[in-house]
Amino acid sequence: MPLPSQLAWLIPLYGFCGMVLALPWASVWIKRNGPRPAAYLNLLLTLVAVLHGSLILREVLAHGPQHLDVPWFQAADLNLRIGMDLSVTNLAALELVTVMSLACQVFALGYLDKEWSLARFYALVGFFEGAMAGVVLSSNLFMSYFLLEMLTLSTYLLVGFWYAQPLVVTAARDAFLTKRVGDVLLLMALVALSAWAGSLEFQDLYRWIDTAQLAPLPAALLGLGLIAGPMGKCAQFPMHLWLDEAMEGPNPASILRNSAVVTCGALVLLKLMPLLRLSPLAIDVLLVVGSISAIGGALVAIAQVDLKRACSYSTTSYLGLVFLAIALQQPLLALLLLFAHGLAKALLFMSVGSVIATTNCQNLTELGGLASRMPATTTAFLVAAAGLTGLLPLGCFWCFGLMVETFLPEHPLLTAVVLLTNALTAFNLVRLFRQVFLAKPHAKTRRTPEVTWLMALPMVSLAVVVLLSPLVLSRLDPALLHLRALSSGSTLLVLGSSLAGLLAGVVVQLDEFWSRSLFRPLRLLQDLLAYDFYTERIYKGTIVAFVAGLARLISSVDRVFVNGLVNRIGSASLASAETLKFSVSGQMQTYVFTVVAAILLLLGSLVWLKA
Amino acid sequence: MLSLLLLIPFLGAATLLLWPSTPAPGRMRAIAITALALQLVWSLRVLVAFDPSFGGMQLEESVAWVESIGLNYQLGVDGLSLPLVLINAALTLVSAVCTRDISQRPRIYFSLLLVISGAVNGAFLAENLLLFFLFYELELIPLWLLISIWGGADRAYAATKFLIFTAISGVLILGAFLGLALFTGTVDFSLTPIVGERLAMGSQVVLLLALLVGFGIKIPLVPFHTWLPDAHTQASTPVSVLLAGVLLKLGTYGVLRFCLGLFPEAWPLIAPGLAIWAAVSVLYGSLAAIAQRDMKRMVAYSSVGHMGTILLAAAAATPLSLLGAVFQMVSHGLISALLFLLVGIVYRKTGTRDLDVLRGLLNPERGLPFTGSLMILGVMASAGLPGMAGFISEFLVFRGSISAFPLATLLCMVGSGLTAVYFLLLVNRAFFGRLAITPPTADPSADGRLDIRLLGVDLRETLPALGLSLAVVGLGVWPAGLGLLGEATSTALAQLPALVAAAQGGLG
Repeated sequence: MPLPSQLAWLIPLYGFCGMVLALPWASVWIKRNGPRPAAYLNLLLTLVAVLHGSLILREVLAHGPQHLDVPWFQAADLNLRIGMDLSVTNLAALELVTVMSLACQVFALGYLDKEWSLARFYALVGFFEGAMAGVVLSSNLFMSYFLLEMLTLSTYLLVGFWYAQPLVVTAARDAFLTKRVGDVLLLMALVALSAWAGSLEFQDLYRWIDTAQLAPLPAALLGLGLIAGPMGKCAQFPMHLWLDEAMEGPNPASILRNSAVVTCGALVLLKLMPLLRLSPLAIDVLLVVGSISAIGGALVAIAQVDLKRACSYSTTSYLGLVFLAIALQQPLLALLLLFAHGLAKALLFMSVGSVIATTNCQNLTELGGLASRMPATTTAFLVAAAGLTGLLPLGCFWCFGLMVETFLPEHPLLTAVVLLTNALTAFNLVRLFRQVFLAKPHAKTRRTPEVTWLMALPMVSLAVVVLLSPLVLSRLDPALLHLRALSSGSTLLVLGSSLAGLLAGVVVQLDEFWSRSLFRPLRLLQDLLAYDFYTERIYKGTIVAFVAGLARLISSVDRVFVNGLVNRIGSASLASAETLKFSVSGQMQTYVFTVVAAILLLLGSLVWLKA
Repeated sequence: MLSLLLLIPFLGAATLLLWPSTPAPGRMRAIAITALALQLVWSLRVLVAFDPSFGGMQLEESVAWVESIGLNYQLGVDGLSLPLVLINAALTLVSAVCTRDISQRPRIYFSLLLVISGAVNGAFLAENLLLFFLFYELELIPLWLLISIWGGADRAYAATKFLIFTAISGVLILGAFLGLALFTGTVDFSLTPIVGERLAMGSQVVLLLALLVGFGIKIPLVPFHTWLPDAHTQASTPVSVLLAGVLLKLGTYGVLRFCLGLFPEAWPLIAPGLAIWAAVSVLYGSLAAIAQRDMKRMVAYSSVGHMGTILLAAAAATPLSLLGAVFQMVSHGLISALLFLLVGIVYRKTGTRDLDVLRGLLNPERGLPFTGSLMILGVMASAGLPGMAGFISEFLVFRGSISAFPLATLLCMVGSGLTAVYFLLLVNRAFFGRLAITPPTADPSADGRLDIRLLGVDLRETLPALGLSLAVVGLGVWPAGLGLLGEATSTALAQLPALVAAAQGGLG
C-alpha cells in the first residue's frame, strides 16, 4: 500500500488537531495579537487534508480501492475496529467535505471578521471537519455512529455559537435533542445488530443479511432504528425542525451544515441501504418520509420571509429526494444528487451569507435591488439556483432527468414528487431572486458594496465548480457517462416542470404589504406553511408535554410518597419515643416488677416451647 | 503490598490527629495531600505488579485474626477491585485538593477523609465477608460526621437520613452474612461460591435478596434512593465528590462480588426481576432529574439513573456486560465527581445552584467561561457522547445485556437518552443566555444588568476538574487499557454460574 493511503487515518485527525491547536486562543489563554493564528492553523491543516485526500484519490483511481483497519477495543465476543474504506465514492465524498470546509473557513475569515471569539469558531469547525471526514471514510457502523454523534455535539456547539441570544439557546437545544432522538434509536439498532451479526463492518453485515433469519417484528424495529439516525441528521419530517432553527448560528457553519453535514448523514444511510432489505416497513417509511419531506420542505420554504430559512428548507426537500432514491435501491442516483445538491447548496448559502454580511439583514421584505451593486454575489446566486433546479444542464438537471427515467415506469407517483419538488424549488428561488436582487432598494440595501475578497474568492471558485459539476461528476465515476443518454421524454418533463416553476415565480405578485393574503383560505394555508405545519407547537403539545408531565409526576411521587413515607416513619418513631418517655415513672418498684415479669414471661415461653 | 494501601491513609489520619500543638490548616491539608498522593503512587505500584491476564485474586495477603468466628485478615485484588482502588485514590486526592479555606476543625476533617479512603480500600480489597463488613461500616460514621459538621443549612436532617438508611443497609448485609453461617453451619466467611449441596435454593434466594436490598440502598436503587439527593445537597463539594465517585461504588461492587459471586446458582432465578428493577431505577432517576431545579439534586438523581445500568449489567452477567459494569463504575466515578466539582465552583462564585436563577454563566470575562466549557464536556460525557468515558461504558453494558434482556436494555437506553434532556436543560439554563444571578423579573432592563462581575476562577481551582476531564476523554478515546485490566476477571465472574452448574451436573 502506498504511503498516503497507509496514512489515511490521519485525515480525520487533521480536523481534530486543528481543534486542539485552536484551544489556547479559544480559551483566551493567549490574548496577544488576537485570535487569527488559530484560524490560520486550521486553514493550513484543512489544506493538508484536502491535498492528502487528493493524493489518495489519485492512487485509488490508478490501483483500485484500499482498506485500512486498526483494532480499537476488543473484549469477549466484541471487536470494535477503526476501519476506513478508501473507495472512489468515499474519497470523492471526503474531497467534497474537506474542500467545503476549506472554502467555508476562508469565507468565515471575511464573514466573522470582527467576531471576538473567532478562535472558538475555528476550533469547532475543526472538530466538525474531523468528524465528517471520519464518517465518510468509515467502513463500519460503529465508527460511523461514533462520529455521527460527534457531529451532533459539534452542531450543538456551532448552533449555540452566539449563546447569549435567546433564540440561539432554544435552537441549539432543539438541534441537539432532535438529533439525539435519532441517534439513540440508531444506537438501539446498532447494539442489536452487533449482538446478532457479530461484526459491525459493513461488508460483514451485507454478508450476514443474506443468511439472517429474523422474525418480522425485530427486523422491522431494526430497520426503523437504522433509518432514524440519518433521518435526524438529514432533517427529514418529522425531525426537520432543528435545521430551520439552526439558521440562528453563524452563516459559515450553515454553509457546511446544509451541504456537507446532511450529505454525511445520507452517506451513512447509503451504506446501510443493503440492510434495509430486511424490513419492508422501513422501506415504506423511507418512501413516505422522503416524499413528505421533499414536497413539504419545498412548500414551507416558499412561505418563509427569512432568507436563510427559505433556503434551508429546500435542503430538507432535496434530502427527501435522496431518501427516495435510497429506498428504491438506487445508490448511484442518491450519490449523484447528494454531490450536485451539496455543491450548489453551499454556493447558495455563500451568496446568502454575502447578502447578510453586507446588509446585516435577512428579512426578505427589507431586502431588494442588490443585483446592480453586488455582481459576484448575484452571479453566485444565479449559478446556484441553476445548479439546484433542472433548467440548465448543470448537476441537478442530470440527476432529475435520471430519476425521472428510473422512476417513471414503475413509480409514476414518485416521479410526480420529483417533478413537483423541482417546480416548487424553481418557484422559490425565482421568488427569492426577485425579492433580494431585483426589487427596488430599501433603506437597508441602499449602500451595499460587494463583499471582500476573502468571501468573494471561495464564492466565485465554487461557482466555477458548480458550472463544471456535470464534468466533475462524470469524471469521478465512469458509470456516470451514460448520463448524456437521457430520453427526450424525461428531458422534456424536467424542463417543463422547471419552466412552470420559473414562470410562476416570475408572474407571482410580490408586494410586501400584501404578502399575507386577504383571501381567508389562502391566508390559512400561508400561515400553515410559514409556521412549518405548526410542528413546533405539535411537539410542545405532545412529546415535550408528555416527558415534562411524566417528570413532574415522578418527581412529586418521589417527594410525596417515597420521601414522605420515610419522613413519616421517622416522625412516628420519634413520636412513639416521646410517648414512651412518659411511661417511665422513676420508681424502683416499677423497674423491678418489669424485670421480674419479663423473666417469668421468658421462662414460661421456653417451657411452653419445650412441651 | 496491599496492606500498605490501608496503612498509608490510616497512618496519615493518625499523624494528623497526634500532631503536636495546632498546626495551620494549610499544613494539615498538605499532610493529607501527601498521604493521599502516596496512596495513589502505591495504587499505581500495585497496578504495575498486577497481572491482567489472570482472572482470580492476586497479591493475596492472609493473617489469621479471630479464627473462632471466621474473621481473617485476608486481602486480595483482581480486575474488579483494582480499577476501584485506583479511582478511590484519585478521587480522595481530588477532594482533598479541592478543599480550601476550611475554617472549622481542619484536623478532624482531613483525618476523616483519610479514614474513609482507607476504609474504602479495605472494603474493596477484603477477601473475607466479615472483614468487608468491618470496613463497610468503618466508612459510614466518618461520612456522617463530614455531612453533619461541614454540611449546608439542612445538614442534620440529611445526615441522619443517610445514617439510618446506610445503617439498615449494614444490618441487612451483616444479617445475610451471619445467616450464611447459620444455615450452612460453618463459620467459613471466605469468598467461595455457595452451591446447592451446602444450602437449599430457598435459603439462598432469601439471603441473596437481603444482600441485594442492603447493597441496593447504598447504590442507591429506587425506592431506597431518597437519602442520596438530600445527602448530596447538604454535603460540601469535596464530600459530594467522594460520595458520588467512590462510596456509591461500594454498593455495586457488593452486588457483583457478594451477590453474583457468592450465589451464582440462585442468580439466574432472580436476574429477570433485577433487569426490570434496573430499568425502573434508570427511568425513575432520569425522569426525576428532569424536574429538579437545584443543580446538585439534578446530578444526584442522574447518579440514581446511571448506577441503575450497573444492576442491568450484573443481571445479564455476560462477560461483556460485567466488563461494562466495571467501565460504568469507573466512568460514573470520574464524570459525577467532575460534575460535582464544577457545580461546587458555580456555587462558590455565585452563591446559588438554582436553575431558575442562574443564566448566561458562559459569559467571557464577567462569567465563568472555562468552568462552563468543562461543564459542557462533563454533561456530554454523562449523556453518553462518544469520545468520552460514558459512551463506551454504556455501550458495553447494553451490548452485553441486550441478548439476555432485550426489553429492559431498551428501556435503560431510553433512560440514558433522557440524560441528554436534563443535562442539556441544565447547560442551556445556567450557562447560555444573558448573564444573571438573580431571579428573572418582568423588567427587562433589570434582567439585562451589566454590572454583574463574578470573581475569576483561579487555575488552581479548576486544576482538579481539568484533570478529571482529561481522564474522562482519555478513557473514552483509549478504553483498551481498562478493558485489558478488567476483562479476565469479568469473564471469570460471568462463567461462574455455568461452572457451578457443570460441577453440580458432574457430581450429580
